[in-house]
Amino acid sequence: MDEIFPEEEGAKKAPEIGPLGDAVSLWASPSEFLPVEVIHVSKNFEDGQQALNDVSLRIEKGKFVYLMGANGAGKTTLLKLLYAAERPTAGELRVNGFDVTRLKVREIPRLRRSLGIVFQDLKLIPRWSVFGNVAFALQVLGLGKDEILKKTSQALQQVGLEGKGNFLPYQLSAGEQQRAAIARAIVNQPALLLADEPTGNIDFHAAEEIVRLFEGINLQGTTIFLATHDEGLAAILPQERVVLERGRIVENSLPPTLPEA
Amino acid sequence: MKGFFFRQAWQNLIQNLWINAFTLATITLSFLIFGLFLLVAVNARELLEEWGSRIRVTAYLSDGVTAEETNRLQDTIRSLQEVQAIIFRSKEDALKSLEGKFPGRTGLLKGLSRNPLPASLEIQLKPAFRDKAGVDRVAGKLKALQGISDLQYGAEWVERFSAFMILLQVLGAGVSGLLLVATILIVANTIRLNIFSRREEIEIMRSVGATGLFIRAPFYLEGIFQGLAGAGLALGILFVLFHLFWAKVYDPLKILLGNFPLHFLAGEQGAGLVLGGLILGFLGTQVSVGRYLKV
Repeated sequence: MDEIFPEEEGAKKAPEIGPLGDAVSLWASPSEFLPVEVIHVSKNFEDGQQALNDVSLRIEKGKFVYLMGANGAGKTTLLKLLYAAERPTAGELRVNGFDVTRLKVREIPRLRRSLGIVFQDLKLIPRWSVFGNVAFALQVLGLGKDEILKKTSQALQQVGLEGKGNFLPYQLSAGEQQRAAIARAIVNQPALLLADEPTGNIDFHAAEEIVRLFEGINLQGTTIFLATHDEGLAAILPQERVVLERGRIVENSLPPTLPEA
Repeated sequence: MKGFFFRQAWQNLIQNLWINAFTLATITLSFLIFGLFLLVAVNARELLEEWGSRIRVTAYLSDGVTAEETNRLQDTIRSLQEVQAIIFRSKEDALKSLEGKFPGRTGLLKGLSRNPLPASLEIQLKPAFRDKAGVDRVAGKLKALQGISDLQYGAEWVERFSAFMILLQVLGAGVSGLLLVATILIVANTIRLNIFSRREEIEIMRSVGATGLFIRAPFYLEGIFQGLAGAGLALGILFVLFHLFWAKVYDPLKILLGNFPLHFLAGEQGAGLVLGGLILGFLGTQVSVGRYLKV
């Protein structure tokens, strides 16, 4: 694994420019914390199932990375480890400067408030309006009423749901519910956005809109780590990718070492 | 943030309306019974104190006791540690008092050749000695004095009433204690049901980064509100019942009861009742939140 994690030299090296016109390397300078650092992580469940096997990866700030693989490959498990919904059996994880492996239970909310998370099952609260669901991500930060109103409205506008703030989730289409979940994930302008199958239940046209939405969010500076099994989705907006198969990384679009100066 | 907590708590109360209404009714009933015992105890204690103040020993003076001997007797009795005050009633005072009890029949008494009524000393005891033991002690000392032909005293009825009041208070405390424990358990159960019905929502809130306090706070507000509302309602109902009792039962019988003034609970007692509701609501919530809401 030494070629994956070369010796840290301290000085920041200029990244290689790739075909997309931006830096393709996932290996960040060691002088600042990375949004995501996964170091030799394994996860075994109590029934003996091994969901992840010695997974390592790093994501630089501002990157858009697909986490790909078939259903059951370990994508959701990896994301859950990143926001501390599960604990690794082995290895270390660092997210947004948090040492997730050693994080105390009472500190987990702080980690999650620093992230934007789009869950596979959306997790919209049925009895709250769209506005209420999105605003909640700011209420947990203790922001004032005016600020919550302003930022929530902006987030809803960004995802194209302005005018639907008073709707309950069940009154929205599947694609609109996705957008509402995305709005909640971005309303606090997180540095890192984790998305688990955000286009799972919608048609291709709506999926394309969602991907373009993520692109726009990424262009504003948010690092995106998007899990999907859909190759067609990744083709809409080619980005860096990490592919899991039965808990192991089998494909990685990154160069194995840092580029030479 | 506080507004969010209150809104959430209110929404939770409305969402499980019947369960919460049942809980509120039970809390109200518990506090009503407790309040009733308290009201009876407060008034009975005042009555007991008032009756106790009427405990006195009457020493009838022998015929032929001179004024000087009467004064010496009063000084001796006044020096006893149990004695608070002495009122001297002459033979003439006694006759006038008797005449006053039979208005329109004074002619009967005018026929008497001499005044058969003795002079007397009404001896009022200090509060600490207004019981059977105190009265017996004083009576024993008075019996040894010259010039006293007879003694009249009796504290048995006060003792019996006092014992009855103690029994009532113990019973009241016991029943109230059980009811208040029941109140805590009922609030705990209602909150537990609310936690269960909102478990998915709680999970979502955790996933988005809500702290334990953020999630728990609305439940505490629910429990406190139920306790406050229940105690407040009970106080209101008690007030209405008290005034109904006054108008329909007490007022017509007031004279027979010696015009004893009946009081509702004092301001601080009422406030204490409501505060008790708040505390019980909090405790009930804590029982459930501590056990079923690990966030």
